[in-house]
Amino acid sequence: MRQTRRWSLIGLLAAALTVSGCAPKTENIDIHNDKDAEAVMGLDYRDFQNAAEDLVRSMIASGALSKPGGGRYVLAVSTIKNDTMQHIDTDQLTKKIRVALLKSGKVVVTTAVGAEGPEDVMAMKTRQELRGNEEFNQRTVAKKGQMIAPDLSLSGKIIQRNITIDRSRQQVEYYFQMTLTDINTGLATWEDEVVIGKRGSNKSVAW
Amino acid sequence: MFKSLAVALLIALLAGGCASSSPKPKGGSVVNVVEPACGNSDIVIKEVRGKRRKDGFMVVQVQGENTSGEYRRLEYKILWFDKNGFQIDTILSNWTVVPAYANQPFSIRTVSPSPKARKFRIYIRNEKEVVCDKQEDGV
Repeated sequence: MRQTRRWSLIGLLAAALTVSGCAPKTENIDIHNDKDAEAVMGLDYRDFQNAAEDLVRSMIASGALSKPGGGRYVLAVSTIKNDTMQHIDTDQLTKKIRVALLKSGKVVVTTAVGAEGPEDVMAMKTRQELRGNEEFNQRTVAKKGQMIAPDLSLSGKIIQRNITIDRSRQQVEYYFQMTLTDINTGLATWEDEVVIGKRGSNKSVAW
Repeated sequence: MFKSLAVALLIALLAGGCASSSPKPKGGSVVNVVEPACGNSDIVIKEVRGKRRKDGFMVVQVQGENTSGEYRRLEYKILWFDKNGFQIDTILSNWTVVPAYANQPFSIRTVSPSPKARKFRIYIRNEKEVVCDKQEDGV
């Protein structure tokens, strides 16, 4: 009985040591030089970064952001539809694009208008709730008719296609599609698509 | 396996109005190639051109040739500088892939992230392998 318990303890100890020894080491990613990292079948930060770069470069190169006569366009970010099998916050893509466009000096983004209401709810709420509220100095409250309506709307879609190559391999294709629409005319002034393809094991799950 | 090819060709470039020792730009280009600091046997850079558009953005075009018999997956990176020589912070300065097919010319065409860009410096390398990291500012 006593010997059995001893052996059990030794077994447990050995198992614990083995498990701890085999656990992959956690390390921080150097996102500025992450070339040696293995590609994954799903979308990772590198894919969003590459897609955003290509789309911004294309948008600037097209001249669609250059307002005739100078000045800056006001851009509203519309819906970026996630049509993939993955849970994606599309802000991972749009935020990079917005920052780059803002830095270009040709565009400012409105947070007061969005496909699902104002992006910055607090800003709108503050205006509406504080106006006429006697607790607040009304000279410091935003006046009516001060907000700037958008000139352009940015919309898009991320599409995923899974293709089985053979019994062991699959190909996953991601399409980042974007459109810039002139709100005044309803015409698309710029459109582009970035394709990211991955080929790997069928056992890898792309969602 | 691949032999070590021209990986990084570093070309320091600057826009018009550059140092007096620089050669004059050709063909209406606003770019002077100050010094091709590194060369390489298989990847040949033939021309670097830059133009300023009416809206202020700079357009850069690099033309080269892959003289090897193998496909090369090159990467390029452009750093942009404003009139005071400060680097412009942008996502458009990350390494970007450019295909160079066997025994074929290739070209890189890109645009500045902002009209504030006055100078740029371009780096070209074979993927993952930097042969040359010498820098020549030329300013």
